[in-house]
Amino acid sequence: MNNTEIIKKSLMKRHLAESRFKTYGILGIISATVFLIVILSTIFIEGKSAFKSTYIKLDVFFDPSIIDPDGTRNIDEIRFANYRKVIKNSLKNYFPEVTGKEEMKSLTELISSSEEENLMQAVLKNNDLIGANKKVWLKASSKIDIIHKNPEMKDLSESNRLISDKELEWFDKLTRNGDVKFSLNKIFFLKADSTEPEQAGILGSILGSFFTLVITLILSFPIAVAAGVFLEELAPKNRLTDIIEININNLAAVPSIIFGLLGLAIFLNVMHLPRSAPIVGGMVLALMTLPTIIIATRVSLKAVPPSIREAAVGLGATKFQSVIHHVLPLAIPGIATGTIIGMSRALGESAPLLLIGMVAFIVDIPGSFTDSATVLPVQIYLWKSTAARGFVELTAAGVIVLLTFLILMNALAIFVRNKFEKKW
Amino acid sequence: MEKTKIESKKISVFYGDKKALSGISLDIPEKRVTSLIGPSGCGKSTFLRCLNRMNDTIDICRIEGKILVDGEDIYDRKLDPVLLRARIGMVFQKPNPFPKSIFDNVAYGPKIHGLTNSKDELSELVESSLKKAGLFNEVKDRLNEPGTSLSGGQQQRLCIARAIAVSPEVILMDEPCSALDPIATAVIEELIDEISKNFTIVIVTHSMQQAARVSNQTAFFHMGNLIEVGKTDEVFSMPKEKKTQDYITGKIG
Repeated sequence: MNNTEIIKKSLMKRHLAESRFKTYGILGIISATVFLIVILSTIFIEGKSAFKSTYIKLDVFFDPSIIDPDGTRNIDEIRFANYRKVIKNSLKNYFPEVTGKEEMKSLTELISSSEEENLMQAVLKNNDLIGANKKVWLKASSKIDIIHKNPEMKDLSESNRLISDKELEWFDKLTRNGDVKFSLNKIFFLKADSTEPEQAGILGSILGSFFTLVITLILSFPIAVAAGVFLEELAPKNRLTDIIEININNLAAVPSIIFGLLGLAIFLNVMHLPRSAPIVGGMVLALMTLPTIIIATRVSLKAVPPSIREAAVGLGATKFQSVIHHVLPLAIPGIATGTIIGMSRALGESAPLLLIGMVAFIVDIPGSFTDSATVLPVQIYLWKSTAARGFVELTAAGVIVLLTFLILMNALAIFVRNKFEKKW
Repeated sequence: MEKTKIESKKISVFYGDKKALSGISLDIPEKRVTSLIGPSGCGKSTFLRCLNRMNDTIDICRIEGKILVDGEDIYDRKLDPVLLRARIGMVFQKPNPFPKSIFDNVAYGPKIHGLTNSKDELSELVESSLKKAGLFNEVKDRLNEPGTSLSGGQQQRLCIARAIAVSPEVILMDEPCSALDPIATAVIEELIDEISKNFTIVIVTHSMQQAARVSNQTAFFHMGNLIEVGKTDEVFSMPKEKKTQDYITGKIG
């Protein structure tokens, strides 16, 4: 056998190994894609219904004897009037056959109690409504909403259904008359958490996440970039800096809940900062994000060719000038990318925030860094752990909102990298 | 009689435990071109980088001996290497313009040293430096374009203009033409000849023809030792040492 034959013999095997490896790779990608599609589509299918909700059209009579018995248009009187009764009366007119006290109560529960406040606001805005008759679309309660979204539930027996036969009858009458419709669920985008699913919104936790991330960014970015620049460019290479470097790399791998424990012990118990506040959450997440950005900074600085440094130093620039004027600007795209990736990790983080109390049930929309707040992933966790049926779709919708923000941030990272990357 | 600009006295350089240069004593005359030749790894670039203390940036590098510039020891503790590098400019092997505009490339040195008082003065300095580097006519209409958009030869001349703008006394060139084609090389060589009227030039080169063409004095390095130094035509026509003879006739290297 000469060499050509020997090589020919082994050639078949070598090519086979290559195509086998390719097949594994393709299989890997296919299975990963399938998992991703399954996860995303189940979430989307489950969550998309939360963006719309059921509204019921009623003829509302703004009864002066209820709203403004004295006729003085006193704001306090209007504010504390019994709007539940107003709604009850319009329902009574719609369903004259309903009489019993218990039945009347469940009839009133067709409408979300959030509408009492809406009617009050409408009257406050326009006093002329008092005494007037007006057709108004009122938000249905969660159980009606669920039946409306899942018509197949009507066929279940009464005990397995969320609503009684009577309630179903009323709902069917409303549907027949064309007084039921789907509309954008504004509350979801404008409110914070609530015990009632149809009144719970995501805005509170979006703002909570926003305030938290602002603190995280303000704290971690400058500190991490300064530390990275110092360690990479200016610090002497000795045992001390080696130890620091090893520890920073280790910190990046520390489970996030440890940072939560640290935040609880120091920020809350020693420094007595407010519990559940974005400022503390941001500080904890900043600790967690610091090593990520430091590492990204150092990697980006390392990637800047040494010729640029030599050019500057050769001209008589100090080391610091060569870094600030030339090396750092060239490293900025990489640093920014690392920062945004670190931020999106912080956005998806829940464990450390549970420990500092950002898991509380908070109905108010946070307005500042020290207000009690929760964040998106924690809000999802809270809704998921609530028993009421109406929170199922809210959970999925929360995930959709969170994923949207994550995708936006990652897209921004790619954009920044492509846009500001300089070629040399 | 030529005045000596740089005097090196028994310079030895170590990278960690490895000795890269042993006891180099070499005088470099003012406003002349001195070329350093020798095979790869002979220490010529290391020697060049000792002259403006660029080796300081390498942590494991250790230097023994003395280098006097105008009689002043540049490794003296009191001397600031930043000042030294403003006096002794450098042009590198691979053209390394900053990824900034042509104007900013040349203006950078004067700016950090505060050499000009006004914008007009700065533009004048940039213009005259580009002219001295023979580049002005080619780039005068696009001073705001990035320096990296120029051709390799133009980039190298931009780097020379950038070095000239600080008005150094000495310009060190580390194989400035090794990344360039023959035409661009010829342009740079002409330029070296031109600017040597005003600057002391030390050039490391791989090309013996280049050394013969541009330099007044040639030093031959081999294995970290200075084998021979003398007037260029003498070194090339009648080398005193056998090793030099072998190198320039192509037997070693």
